[in-house]
Amino acid sequence: MGWTFNNPLFSLTTEDQNKEAKHVWEHESLGGIAENNNPLPRPVIGLLLLTFATAIAITFPLYGQRPTAAIYLDYVSLMNSTMVQEVMNDRTISHHEANTKAMALITDSLTQFDSKYTFQREQHPIDLDHLRVIAPQIIELQKAGADLEEYIVVGPDVVISNFFNIQADGTVLAKQPWWDKGYLIAFWYFIGFCLAVIVAVKRLPHFSWRPDHTIAH
Amino acid sequence: MLKYLFAKEENIPQGTAAIFFGVSSIAWFIIGSGLGSFNAAKLAFPDLYHGLYALQFGHMRQVHVHAVIFGWIAMAFAASMMYITPALGNTKLWSEKLGVWNCLLYNVGLCLALALLWAGVTSGREYSDHIWPIDLYIAFVMVVPWCLNVWMTIINRRTQGIYTTNWFFAGCMFMTVVVFLVGNMPEWLHLTGLNEAYMTWWFAHNVLGLLITPVAAAITYYIVPKITGNPLYSHRVGHLHFWSIVVFYSTPAAHHLMSSPLPEWLKSFASVEGVLILVPAVAYVCNILLTMQGRWSMFVENIEIKFTITGVLLAIPLNMQGGFQQTRAINWYIHGTGWIVAHAHLALLGFSTFAEAASVYYGMQVLLRRKLYSASLANFHFWMLLIGFSLYWVSMTISGLIQGAAKIYEVPYVDVVIAEHPYMIVRWIGGTMVFFGNIIWLYNMVMTARAGDIVPVGRQPAEVAYTR
Repeated sequence: MGWTFNNPLFSLTTEDQNKEAKHVWEHESLGGIAENNNPLPRPVIGLLLLTFATAIAITFPLYGQRPTAAIYLDYVSLMNSTMVQEVMNDRTISHHEANTKAMALITDSLTQFDSKYTFQREQHPIDLDHLRVIAPQIIELQKAGADLEEYIVVGPDVVISNFFNIQADGTVLAKQPWWDKGYLIAFWYFIGFCLAVIVAVKRLPHFSWRPDHTIAH
Repeated sequence: MLKYLFAKEENIPQGTAAIFFGVSSIAWFIIGSGLGSFNAAKLAFPDLYHGLYALQFGHMRQVHVHAVIFGWIAMAFAASMMYITPALGNTKLWSEKLGVWNCLLYNVGLCLALALLWAGVTSGREYSDHIWPIDLYIAFVMVVPWCLNVWMTIINRRTQGIYTTNWFFAGCMFMTVVVFLVGNMPEWLHLTGLNEAYMTWWFAHNVLGLLITPVAAAITYYIVPKITGNPLYSHRVGHLHFWSIVVFYSTPAAHHLMSSPLPEWLKSFASVEGVLILVPAVAYVCNILLTMQGRWSMFVENIEIKFTITGVLLAIPLNMQGGFQQTRAINWYIHGTGWIVAHAHLALLGFSTFAEAASVYYGMQVLLRRKLYSASLANFHFWMLLIGFSLYWVSMTISGLIQGAAKIYEVPYVDVVIAEHPYMIVRWIGGTMVFFGNIIWLYNMVMTARAGDIVPVGRQPAEVAYTR
């Protein structure tokens, strides 16, 4: 197990051991099968790096997460306003038409002022029937002084979310951190994997060496 | 088989265990795909049969799944390992007698396990459906002796190096034992709730990821260089493939439960690892397809290469789907739909089955020293399998997209059933084609053993496939 660190990107193995490995490689037939010593083609290396970038990008928390109750608080307030209630209770039009008209009023009103939830609202549109179901739960939580960003909407229920964002003082916030610790683990895990594989392949004879298969076969 | 059970080791011809496992695997493939065809018929025509309770879909589904996984796939793996492992070590199998007993007790255990599932005696957990006494039997009577034979053959090899295929065989068998014993913890320790759900899917994911996919890949690492005569493109890419399987395939179990109340960080980690499954996939496909350089004509001419390379090509959509469908952005749409059923069949009936079929075809000819009875029937089998599988995969994928849309837009369930009906019929036709193709395969292999031309000493079956 001779190691050398003089030129780690070229080889981590001493010349003697490389010589021995080359001898075995060329003189041994593994059931009539031979192996070449080619490196990964460069486009494939690029593809693998792209895979890692894609893995992080496509799984980023913004995509596919459940909505927090906080993004619907303004919807609930507007739903309970006189203007919207009048439309909702208008008996001259159908239930569906009333719903559509009332929701249009709510969304129009919401566009009048800036909100940090604009993007999330576009990600998680809601209809009036759904809003009616979750509204009492949101009002109840608001009265209790809860932080609505710690609650998510799962179908008809508003429940505490399952984020465990541990603060410096030891308290746990059930809020999505901007950078989930799962990603942090994945990042270091990937780095560890790359280092281990680089060490494994750099222990082999350098890829510029081509084995002669005519010796054993 | 009976005459070898009590024979002395030196009186049992080399390859006996592999042949028994090979024939058993084909028989189980017929049974498994027959059950699948029957189940598909029940989904296409729900009023088809109302007789015995045990023949209803709820009982039959698990029987089909386990007949295929433990019967066809695992036994084809065992057959492959029992002849490839010694061949690559320039030695003989450590114990043919153990292999023969292993094969007998494997078949007995599988019959018992399936009979219990059929009777409704089940743990109720998908993929780990067996009750704990059966789990113990599977672990210690069916799998451990098999492992022992593989490991001891590698230890007793007459080469200094170990070829890529044998790393996979030894490593995957070790990981399978661990996965089986740890993954069945809900059964040993009566875990419930999220722990049970997580361990169930840790087991299910890893049976696929640490046994079925890598062993199928390992088989192709043997078949392609052996038959084409080309050296494997790259030993070092083999390292990348093997270690990335171990590292990235073993960790993403939580991505099966993206809508569950598991901690979000665990899902995020699992989801990233899920996409990184593409690392071994890219390394593997690249290594095999580059090994084919200059020998692509064999993809048309040679039945084993035709099966193998079709399997390798199917690994591309398999891993593209597998990598991305588990992300939060896509999973919410396709989770719990026929898309997943299609994906599972792409892994088991697509990639894995084609690789194993090649191995069984090749192994039986080499071990019996007889060339195929009929190349035409083998080609017929190939096309029945490919067309049948394709019909199944495409129809179930479309059906899954319909179900996904219906789920999101809250379409009444009965409307979804009506919309899916044509695709269920196509699914049944596809599955039935696979079933009939397999019957032809068994006939061809039996006739090969009985009436196939002798392969001259020193020649490969592939070299004389078209000579009379």
